[in-house]
Amino acid sequence: MSETNVNDELFTFQPADDTASEHIASPQYSYWRSVFRKFFSSKLAIFMLIVAGTIVVISIIQPMISGYSPMNTPNINNSSMKYIRPNSTYWFGTDDKGNSLFDAVWAGTRTSLFISVIATIITNVIGVVVGMWWGFSKKVDAVMIEVYNVLANIPVTLVCMILVYAIGPGTASLIFALCVTSWIGTAYFIRVQVMIIRDREYNLASRCLGTSTWKIIRNNILPYLISVIMTSISRDVPAFISYEVFLSYLGVGLSRETASLGQMIRDYSPYLTSTPYLFWIPVAVSAIISISLYIVGQTLADASDPRTHMV
Amino acid sequence: MRKYILTRILKSILSLFAVVSIIIVMIYTMIPRTKIFDNDAGIKKMKGDTRTIYVYRKYAELGYLEYLRKQDMCLEVFGDGEDYTACLVNESAQQHEAIDFYINKGYALETLKSGDPLVYHDYNWLELLGKFYGRLFRFDSKNAIQDEGNPDLERKYYWGKNPDNGTPAFMCSGCEYKYQLYFNGKFPFIHQHFLTFDFGESYPTSVGIPTTQVINEGQGAIKNSDQTFPTGLEQESALIQTSCKYKVTPDHLDEKKFDDHYADCLSAHESPSMVSTSYIMGIIALIISYGFGIPFGISMAQHKDKFRDKLGIAYINILVAVPSLAFIFFMRSIGTLLGMPDKFPQLGFDDIRSWIMPIVILALLNMPSLMMWLRRYMIDQVNADYVKFARAKGLSEKEIFRKHILRNAIIPIVNGIPSSIILCISGALITESAFAVPGMGKMLPNAISQMNNNMVLTLTMIFTALSIFAVLLGDLLMILVDPRISLTSKGGE
Repeated sequence: MSETNVNDELFTFQPADDTASEHIASPQYSYWRSVFRKFFSSKLAIFMLIVAGTIVVISIIQPMISGYSPMNTPNINNSSMKYIRPNSTYWFGTDDKGNSLFDAVWAGTRTSLFISVIATIITNVIGVVVGMWWGFSKKVDAVMIEVYNVLANIPVTLVCMILVYAIGPGTASLIFALCVTSWIGTAYFIRVQVMIIRDREYNLASRCLGTSTWKIIRNNILPYLISVIMTSISRDVPAFISYEVFLSYLGVGLSRETASLGQMIRDYSPYLTSTPYLFWIPVAVSAIISISLYIVGQTLADASDPRTHMV
Repeated sequence: MRKYILTRILKSILSLFAVVSIIIVMIYTMIPRTKIFDNDAGIKKMKGDTRTIYVYRKYAELGYLEYLRKQDMCLEVFGDGEDYTACLVNESAQQHEAIDFYINKGYALETLKSGDPLVYHDYNWLELLGKFYGRLFRFDSKNAIQDEGNPDLERKYYWGKNPDNGTPAFMCSGCEYKYQLYFNGKFPFIHQHFLTFDFGESYPTSVGIPTTQVINEGQGAIKNSDQTFPTGLEQESALIQTSCKYKVTPDHLDEKKFDDHYADCLSAHESPSMVSTSYIMGIIALIISYGFGIPFGISMAQHKDKFRDKLGIAYINILVAVPSLAFIFFMRSIGTLLGMPDKFPQLGFDDIRSWIMPIVILALLNMPSLMMWLRRYMIDQVNADYVKFARAKGLSEKEIFRKHILRNAIIPIVNGIPSSIILCISGALITESAFAVPGMGKMLPNAISQMNNNMVLTLTMIFTALSIFAVLLGDLLMILVDPRISLTSKGGE
């Protein structure tokens, strides 16, 4: 047994340091800060965010300045104004009616974006609310699963086309048709996710402690669903753009008065060999806008999943 | 199990009728009915009463309403007598009585320019559905034909021979169709006429031809072949004898060929029908997409996070994000650079080059979801206990992937195969439209833009029925492949 030489001289007094205690305690975790850190760690996502942001801003501002309308054709009889190839004055050239394609493309992009964003919001709000309710209540599930079995088997494109055909073309009816056919898919997707976590131990514990269902949904389940909802949104936006383009291409989506990328693609597909820029610019814009929004959405969905925050 | 399948089938039929009913009501009540004349060239030349009567006749034919002219009203109310003759005089007391009779029944009155009255009654949604379904199913029987001009018509079923290939055929005299059941080399090989579907006639395009015939009959020039007719006449002819229907007044040309009244036949054509065109295209594309998609998916899962996997994911992401239309046009222009036509009808059915690009594009569009899901399922399986056990036993990675993981991962893929095969018939809306392929997929947008209501309903019903039953078949196939799956009892709980 050795002698222990412990005396007061070995120790010095230290003043209480509040900042040091901050470092010793577990690192502070902020959900949204982690989301942004994760998101901005991807260079591709930053690039795509800039692309998407630029397109969105231009498509909002440019049509306001140009006031473009497909029905307004001041140069229709001036053949020197038609089919001008892209140059410094007309960045995207001019079309078969003598209008600037630059104005037309952004007006079309605005329509496509507007339709897909509104349809995505409506679809996801209805889908999430119904999906939550559907996943939580067994009684609702019994009814809704039958409704789903009927509706899910129906080809979406077909019903969408018939709906627009029946209501008549126009932005509102296209949004309506897109929402009517797609909300149940989102709701089903959310329902499955809710069912997976509904009976997890921490939720059972919450319930045992007397937490109300509403509070469980708000505090335990919704945060968990953020990444799932983001995934659904990032799929919906490009899908709706694609639908709008496709339906307008077939001529069952929008009326002639509305500028739209799909209608441009349809109108200019015969010019593929003679004046290819007329056709390729709308196609390229629709592709760029979908890809950038999709990648931004996917990265955001990954970043909003707390499991990816542990580094 | 049997009970489950039975309820599933019943539910499927129910949802089919629910969807079709909703669409019928929508089409007939929500679209302004004057629009059906937008594409009718004939009506533009008509004026006055001729035009009004034509409009009412068309509405009645298309099932919007029921109308009666002076003669029909008077005959219905007074019978064939003195009052009838008086009723035909405009503004007579009898005529007013007849008109009032119909107005009380809910009819509306329209006076033509000539002063003749016309009463009509719009069908409500219930009557619309009743009319549609009442007409839809046509059961053929030996008492189907009631022809006053031919009272001696024999009524019997008998066995005969298919004149095209000599196989036995179940035939009928007195039915609408002569050949009730016969076999030939065309899909689905066994053909029947016991139950036929009547969706009405196509209008305003292909006027007067039943919609089912429009999509089923061959296209292009007629194709002659050497045939022997029932009278013994040997002649080069395009008639398809197995399709013959009863004809009330056969002409002398018919009498040379046929010894009975069954002389109303379809003709054979050089090019396949709309249904077959879509089907041929779809099936080949399907084989290609499964043939490449499955190995690619496996290879991506085997080399997770390596170059191959990343390349595959990039391809999947691009195809998910880019509007399909943009992708199709992009591929089409690559095809043009390689010397392929950019529209199907340019070189037509006989040239193989017309088929290549649509098939390649269809296959490329089908592949991403197949690859994505197969990769996902396989990666999920990699950490399963049975895989760890197989590895512990000392099996090679290749063996584990092929014999253990793939067998489990392929089950959900099997579920999708029937849908893919059956839905080939419905064609690919976008691809067919972009290439102007004369198939089913292009037919629907065309019918919609031409306001061809009967055609829209026909195609809706076919497409919906196909997709509903494909899902059912997929579930049943999954049980066959994996006996662990039970659809009747709920797992988990």
